Amino acid sequence: MSPIWRPGVVGVGPRTRKPRVGAPPSRRGFLRGMMQGSAVFVGLPLLERMLNGNGTALACGGAIPKRFGLFFWGNGNNPTRWVPATDGADYALSEQLAPLQNVKAKMSVVTGLSVKVPNLLPHTSGAGGLLTGMAPLSSDGNETFAGPTIDQVVAAEVGGDSLYPSIQTAATDANGQSYNGPNSQNPPETDPYTLYERLFGASFREPGEEAVVDPTLGLRRSVLDSVSTDIVSLQSRLGAADKARLDQHLTGVRDLETRLARLEEDPPSLEACSRPESEPLASYPDEEGRPQISARSRAMIDMLAMAFACDQTRVFGHYVCDPVSNNLFPGASAGHHNLTHDEGGDQPEVNAITLQIVTELAYLLERFDSVVEADGTLLDNCCILGCSEVSLGQTHSLDDMPIVLGGGLCGTLRTGIHYRSYTGDNASSLMLSILRGMDILATSFGSEDAYTESGLSGIEV
Amino acid sequence: MRASLVLPLFLLASACDEGVEEPPFERGAEPAYSPEAPVARRLTYDQYQNTVADLFGEGILIPGSLEPDTRVSGLYAVGASVTSISALGVERYESAAFDVAEQVLADPTRRARLGSCSPGTVRDDACAAELIANLGPAAWRRPLTDEESARLVTIAGDAAEALGGFDAGFTYAVAALLQSPHFLFRPEVGELGEDGVRRYTAWELATRLSFFLWDGPPDEELRAVAASGALLTDAELATQVDRLLADARARRGLRAFVSDMLQLADLDSLTKDPTIFVYTSAGLGASAREQTLLDAESLVLDEDADLRKLLTSTDTHLDRTLAALYDVPAPAREGFGATRLPSSGGRRGFLGQASFLALQAHATSTSVTLRGKFIREVLLCQNLPSPPAGLNTAIPEASEDLRTMRERVAQHLEDPSCASCHQVMDPIGLGLENFDGVGRWREEENGVVIDPSGQLDQETFADAWELGGTLAAHEDFGPCVNRTLFRYATGRTEADAEQPLVDWHADGLQESGYRLRFLMRDVALGPAFRVVGEVQ
Repeated sequence: MSPIWRPGVVGVGPRTRKPRVGAPPSRRGFLRGMMQGSAVFVGLPLLERMLNGNGTALACGGAIPKRFGLFFWGNGNNPTRWVPATDGADYALSEQLAPLQNVKAKMSVVTGLSVKVPNLLPHTSGAGGLLTGMAPLSSDGNETFAGPTIDQVVAAEVGGDSLYPSIQTAATDANGQSYNGPNSQNPPETDPYTLYERLFGASFREPGEEAVVDPTLGLRRSVLDSVSTDIVSLQSRLGAADKARLDQHLTGVRDLETRLARLEEDPPSLEACSRPESEPLASYPDEEGRPQISARSRAMIDMLAMAFACDQTRVFGHYVCDPVSNNLFPGASAGHHNLTHDEGGDQPEVNAITLQIVTELAYLLERFDSVVEADGTLLDNCCILGCSEVSLGQTHSLDDMPIVLGGGLCGTLRTGIHYRSYTGDNASSLMLSILRGMDILATSFGSEDAYTESGLSGIEV
Repeated sequence: MRASLVLPLFLLASACDEGVEEPPFERGAEPAYSPEAPVARRLTYDQYQNTVADLFGEGILIPGSLEPDTRVSGLYAVGASVTSISALGVERYESAAFDVAEQVLADPTRRARLGSCSPGTVRDDACAAELIANLGPAAWRRPLTDEESARLVTIAGDAAEALGGFDAGFTYAVAALLQSPHFLFRPEVGELGEDGVRRYTAWELATRLSFFLWDGPPDEELRAVAASGALLTDAELATQVDRLLADARARRGLRAFVSDMLQLADLDSLTKDPTIFVYTSAGLGASAREQTLLDAESLVLDEDADLRKLLTSTDTHLDRTLAALYDVPAPAREGFGATRLPSSGGRRGFLGQASFLALQAHATSTSVTLRGKFIREVLLCQNLPSPPAGLNTAIPEASEDLRTMRERVAQHLEDPSCASCHQVMDPIGLGLENFDGVGRWREEENGVVIDPSGQLDQETFADAWELGGTLAAHEDFGPCVNRTLFRYATGRTEADAEQPLVDWHADGLQESGYRLRFLMRDVALGPAFRVVGEVQ
């Protein structure tokens, strides 16, 4: 029996790198062979994608794509310690935002926005209301979002050109907050090593390297093609709700087929792209009953930065922790959610946790800002939306939501300011501004009380 | 209490004629049943694992993560009817399918089970067709159409030629079987009978039975009676249900139901601060789950005894981890052993087990609210509203004046907006305050003797021991287990029109002496398992 070789594009195998020994020959090697070993260099389309129409400049939004990332944490903040004292360009970061000092010029703080959906389901109303602009659905104990979350709205428009429509990651054992629609969630990868195998495993190619040549890619595609046939034939026998569920399955199957086909193409020639210098650890075990939230988060952020730089994806969702999650943060005497409700006074322990989370956001923004891309940095070409599902966790408040916008999205979003709404503006307007900044033609965001046709002009350039 | 009706004689006679064993007691006539539209369930992680084990033999490694299971209305079994497969899930199922297929083809024993033909050439369509004819119906729980078989034969043959080996090629056919929605979902839509009644087909019924009672796929005998159609007769159905319940795999099935109902999967991510709870350990969650499951197994399947004893019995199963936690002698040096807790120890039944006490608590403390809420919602099926938004939810901190949780909660309950809900949860949880956040017994909190007395609806109790008895005698407990089992078995919440049937099963449970094994049989033979509505 001949060995069955598959590239490690799917990342759930044993925790060892798949050996390159015995792997099928690369396409360049194959071409070399055709030329009888003579010193023939088969050229790659160097820099082709980095040049704009005139071949002169590196254009953000053109050859350099615009990208969107969601940095989410559960259980909120404390507005009195979060909101900077003054607004506008010349403002000082507040106590809870202090860790962002190094990237202050490359981000904006947005305060005073309200999630306008009825606050009937603690935490879920805020999460669904903010990220979808719609009141979440609830029946008989089943709570789910009513529509797609902002990351998936973006991914549906811009995700098709990259290897993955979106990548979802979580630094704790979280379900994430990414929905395609009701009961259709995009679960995050919670294990850094598995994420590494998916993104930078055996099938990853740096710019300038040869594309994967592997007969099994085509065979796997023919299997997926058969699965698609099965899905379509099964749909004809099922009711409307089950048909929709299988539509989602079919979308995933076709995504994977496309991804396998792209592996046979030359990798995009993106200057900022390279294989990460180090692999994450094989595991991040709890220490004294506490998850290694910071180490896990940073390992994932490092990979997400390169996943953007290498155009493997243009959208991510990264979750430090879920709404209602009860992680034991370092130094805390009780679980996160417990503390938000039970800790008295001005909640010093909750404050310390919020600071730890904002520190991880700062790490993300600084890491992305360290990647040189075109005539700026990766961060300059992104919009990173940092947010939580409530403001004050103790009361599940949906007013004065904690929002940080990192990166200027190729100069479409204002940076370096504290924008404060004094009228409790609709948080959906911010989402609409982000969509427009991403060059997505959207006339509105949200529904009913959270519906808007107006962007948040104060943060638009 | 529901009155039980006298079974009409003609019904009894007709049941006997068809060979169905009548219950050992009189019961009311089965109510008229209005069937619901079908749902297609996705295999849960455990069902995927069980199916792979049943198809190819134990010991095949599958990835630790597939598409996550989602709890809807308290059950993964219901979530399986509404969730889909995400893009990440597609990747994971693809990887898992190849992992499984490669292990099967690489192992001579497993390989031999697929079929006996020896491929004459690298591409041998006839041999591939034979293997697919063996494996296909077991994997998809129905015969394959000619087109489906031919497609898989082509996949195997093309791959064999490309890779230069028959088995290497057949790996791709196995992987195609295991990624198909026909494998990953359980589409059960029924067909219209000549009498105008829409019933599950024999193959669908076989699948419903085996996943309900075994949490896995039909075995060879069940597939045979599905293929012949014999399963559609009352007599054969009863024979098969009794066979399934007597089989060792019924333990797997019962464990799946108990785990789902009591949310025991959450014990995998049990987080406790070891500086506060010195009896916690990495294996505590798994041990705690095993205790509850072993107790359920012996009570329901070995003894076929009154289910309510799960709340009151001192007979249990412990390993060294739990024996240390509960401060009793370990009955076994290795693994679990049966034992009886001291009657003076204050601990009995499920409410005295770490699977409940540690899970329904916080990382660094107990939670009277979580414990009370679990008893209301999961054990009594009483719905509680979510807390209103904009409320200050803080429980006062421990202080000189407020030393025990009881004292702190009392002040919390002075706020009428809190009291309206917490009044029905916290007083129950206060009855369990003798058990700390991992289930260790304690007499005092902050130097004050704990007062564990309380009230559950109209019944007062002195302590946790009595609370177990009060709960066991609660009129909602049996109907709650029944409702949960009905949802678990059908994969959906009951429709209003089904309530008479659900009540009828609840009556059966009560009349049977609260024997869960009887109820499982009753539901498997009942109309909701056999009759289905139009596809909508």
